[in-house]
Amino acid sequence: MSAPDALKGTPLFGQFPTALKFSVREQSRNRLAALLLVLFVPLWYLLMTSIAGDKGLDFKLYATGEMLSVNGKHITLITAGLNSLTMIAGFVVFDAVRKALAFDRRLAFAGFRQSTLIGAKMLAIGIVAGTIALYTALALLVYWRPGFTGWATILAGFVTMTLTYGSLGLLLGVLVKNDLEGFFLIIMGGLTDTFLQNPLGNPAANKPVLQYFPSFGPMQFSVGGSLGDTVLWRYLGLGLIWAASFAVVGLIVFHFRTRSRRPTG
Amino acid sequence: MTTEREPALAARDIHKAFGRHQVLRGADLTVEPGQLVAVVGENGSGKSTLLKAIAGTLPVDEGEVRLSGELGYCPQDPVLNLNLTVDQHLQYFAAAHRLSSLERADELVKLLGYDKYREAAAGDLSGGTRQKLNLTLALLHDPDVLLLDEPYQGFDWETYLRFWDLVDQLHERDKAVVVITHLVFEQERFDVLADLVDGRLTPRTAVKERTHVGA
Repeated sequence: MSAPDALKGTPLFGQFPTALKFSVREQSRNRLAALLLVLFVPLWYLLMTSIAGDKGLDFKLYATGEMLSVNGKHITLITAGLNSLTMIAGFVVFDAVRKALAFDRRLAFAGFRQSTLIGAKMLAIGIVAGTIALYTALALLVYWRPGFTGWATILAGFVTMTLTYGSLGLLLGVLVKNDLEGFFLIIMGGLTDTFLQNPLGNPAANKPVLQYFPSFGPMQFSVGGSLGDTVLWRYLGLGLIWAASFAVVGLIVFHFRTRSRRPTG
Repeated sequence: MTTEREPALAARDIHKAFGRHQVLRGADLTVEPGQLVAVVGENGSGKSTLLKAIAGTLPVDEGEVRLSGELGYCPQDPVLNLNLTVDQHLQYFAAAHRLSSLERADELVKLLGYDKYREAAAGDLSGGTRQKLNLTLALLHDPDVLLLDEPYQGFDWETYLRFWDLVDQLHERDKAVVVITHLVFEQERFDVLADLVDGRLTPRTAVKERTHVGA
């Protein structure tokens, strides 16, 4: 066998495109999550709307202080969508990040720039989260046609929510030791968070304490746009701050967990 | 043993404890270029811990590691991405090492005899084939210093012999190779046997006769 002399030179594969391609692949290979998305989301909408009925509900828009009188079915569709997104996005990213952590560390040791790996991972989360949110928002049209602006604000709220829970999945993926802990935290967190925002299930849904939950921003934005005829950008921003905070903390932990520990004198 | 050249690998006074259990208590290991060293010791004596410390995957409590040249580390349990195929692994690590060709990767895949699985996801491979890929990833960039932690687990006899041919070639090309081994009958292959006892390494120089077992 010949000695490999010509290994160095112009790299055959760029680091960023390679990492992006494979990160998207590893996150989209989760069959259970795909099945949940395709079957669970429409079924969940159906179930939740049949429970909600057409009962009228009051929903407080915090930007204007206005109390909206809305159809309970519509509010419930939005919270059901947000709720399924928390689980699916959180699960997809958590699973992929946790399983690939040792492998990513090996890549970093082999010379992969950590910042490139992190950037590609984040962009992959964005692409996967966007796709999941788009599907969930499209499936909602089967039960309710809120008009284009209304639908677009729901989609934006959904995207923000998937980014938030995708980033939470990233954070848990680099932090927790085993699957069950992570799944449990994502499911409980997502359920509590979205359930509390809906005045149908929670009589205290219009109380100020809800502002401190991650789904508050996306919920206000989606409801404002689809049922209140107001586009509350600030609330979308609030949701994005949650997403960014989870992501930054997760990426810092990722950076520490993939660095070399070799003691050089 | 020549000491004129700078050693390829010099680990000094490595200490590592897990809780109250002190595993390494001042282990030293020096490997010259072109030297083939076996680390031997009982189960739980800290062989893998030592290699992890040198590779940098495990923080140590005390000590220092100096390397000249590039390092290749083959961990005991394959570290792979089960969703990616063999070819995708090779591309990913070629990108990591900024390699300009996959020539060496192709050679290694053929030599270890798993060419037909290149399109298969790592999750669908047998244990032995995963180990072959694990080893290939450590050798892909033709490193100067190699740390191999029981690299042939799950290999069939034919592949095991090819593995030793590969190590012989690396040896001849002046690479420094450290192998963790349990097998007494292969100990004559090495330049140096280092016993890991009570957290310290004691080298015994072996009289090497390059007889090939079974060949």
